[in-house]
Amino acid sequence: MIRWILQGILRDKNRSLFPFLVVMSGVALVVFTVGFMEGIFMGMINTTANLDTGHLRLVNKPFYDEEHLNPMDRALTAQKEIRQWLSENSDPKIMWAPRIRWGAIADVPDENGETKSQTPIIGMALDLLSPDSQELQRLDLKNSLTEGRLPQGPKEILLGYELARTLDVGRDQTITLLGQTFDGGLATDNYTVVGFVRFGVFAMDKKMALIDLKDAQDSFYMENTVTDWLGFLPSHVSDKEYIHLKTALQSRLDDLILNPPADWAKDDLPIVLSVLEQRNLDNLVGVFEMVKKIFVGIIVLLMVLVLWNAGLLNGIHRYGELGLLLAMGQTHWKLVGMMAVEALSIGLLGSLAGCLIGGGVVYYLQEVGINMGDAFAQTGMMMNDVMRGRVTAESFLLGVGPGIIASVLGSLFASVALFQRSEANLFRELEAG
Amino acid sequence: MDSIVKLDKVIKVYRVGDEDFAALHEISLDIEPGAFMSFVGPSGSGKTTLLNLIGGLDQPTSGSIYFENVSLGNLDRTALAEYRRKNLGFIFQTYNLLPVYSVYENILFPLLLDGNRESAVRQSVEDIVASVGLSDQIKKKPAHLSGGQCQRVAIARALVKKPALILADEPTANLDAENSYQILELMKKLNHQFKAAFVFSTHDEKVTKYVNREVGLEDGRVRWDKRRNGAGSLE
Repeated sequence: MIRWILQGILRDKNRSLFPFLVVMSGVALVVFTVGFMEGIFMGMINTTANLDTGHLRLVNKPFYDEEHLNPMDRALTAQKEIRQWLSENSDPKIMWAPRIRWGAIADVPDENGETKSQTPIIGMALDLLSPDSQELQRLDLKNSLTEGRLPQGPKEILLGYELARTLDVGRDQTITLLGQTFDGGLATDNYTVVGFVRFGVFAMDKKMALIDLKDAQDSFYMENTVTDWLGFLPSHVSDKEYIHLKTALQSRLDDLILNPPADWAKDDLPIVLSVLEQRNLDNLVGVFEMVKKIFVGIIVLLMVLVLWNAGLLNGIHRYGELGLLLAMGQTHWKLVGMMAVEALSIGLLGSLAGCLIGGGVVYYLQEVGINMGDAFAQTGMMMNDVMRGRVTAESFLLGVGPGIIASVLGSLFASVALFQRSEANLFRELEAG
Repeated sequence: MDSIVKLDKVIKVYRVGDEDFAALHEISLDIEPGAFMSFVGPSGSGKTTLLNLIGGLDQPTSGSIYFENVSLGNLDRTALAEYRRKNLGFIFQTYNLLPVYSVYENILFPLLLDGNRESAVRQSVEDIVASVGLSDQIKKKPAHLSGGQCQRVAIARALVKKPALILADEPTANLDAENSYQILELMKKLNHQFKAAFVFSTHDEKVTKYVNREVGLEDGRVRWDKRRNGAGSLE
């Protein structure tokens, strides 16, 4: 019987083509939109994670509480012990990298050694020199260089290209950093500018400088000390998992807090944060999820309405056939069941086609992306210049589920008319053709 | 001989606006197994109403209809559907074949409806197609058949599940004289072959030559009930 029904669907284009196209379009739209939104959202998360917070972040709470002041004296010591502890206690898919957030005044001298220009800058120190360091890839520094080269030796600095313009500083020039040491003293050190970087985030291009981690530890007297341990996750890990990984690590951290390394201050209290808990991303997640639900809901509602209408038209188109089936002894319920099977088949086929189309476009955007750098150049949002889609199981489920439900619901609503059909008129109706 | 269908003082009244319209007045009839009979009469005489009632498509206002001694009045909507599925075949004036299916599939359908697997009934379908002389058209769609051929498919579809009773509403009304005779000959032959009772509603006089019994209806009343005698005429 199922084969018989499927044959009917395939042969009668009036019966199947329009509902198929509706389901296919709706599902393709949902899969594409959700996939693209996911891609942009995950792009923002990854950019924020790579440049700033990691997907997970281990930080000393006193430092975090006054982060805007860059209180270097509240950084977390015992770098080696913590690295060891993290490798033993955190999920193996998390890659940990130490960083130092620092702040300083950058002073550029003229040819006489007098100050030519000066500005406060924010900086990040990270492992730029180790051959096995992945930080260069994380920040995509090779491709972000607008001029110059990457640091290859000690006391070399990269500047945001807008910052360089503000300071009126050129390549191979020396600048002096004036900052605060770990123990509260004045830190001064000279660095050679070796290149300019375009981060794609206006605030960073305007204020950010990068130096090697060991240089920062030397300049700011922070031996065996970092301000942050940033944990990075592979791109396939969903943002839904971050909170579980964070909770697991936080629960193990209690042991470390109870038995702290000898170098820790009495009030040192490391905490674990996920990227979603920082930079107001949690609000963005809420808005994103709400928009996604509203969008999917609207598409499903529209699909149900259109398919309901299509089902009614189909009922008129097949008035004689359905009447004949009733006369031949098909019960109303079985007839409704038959139409539901038809709708289910069309829903499945339409959803499959919609997934292929929507998923194909998202996959293309995932691999190639759209360069929106110019549009976002002046924003403060941490977004990559290239907007990418993201092929996820969730986007397919959000497309397929409603596609099938809308198809069957539309058909069932239309089937209500079947029950209002009186068998007593069948002869007359069938004779009327 | 026990009757296959028995009508006992059947009255059918329709409500038309504020007035009652009596379509049938106290009709009492017996239909024997294997009968080949017709209800004749002008439009509005009650022929189709009578087929409706016998087919379990409608309920009488009063009186009873029995099929093999079971009162149809005691059956609910689902049981009536089963009664039609198991015991009846329908033939319509306009054939009512399913246009997207082939001759074979149209005839197969009532068997699938009854829960049979295609592999188990394929031979039965092919045999009945041969009986109506359409073996060479078995894969064609109705659109590619003549009116007479379509009616042959409809007859095969009605007979394929070997029902006890075939109800045919004006089966020759859409056919020319030659095709009408061919169809009536075919139904007569199949009536003998399958032993199913054929009940026609018609005002086609050609049918009279073939039936063994003719019930004349006028204004919802039986005006005559003639049976073919030994000399071959109805009396």
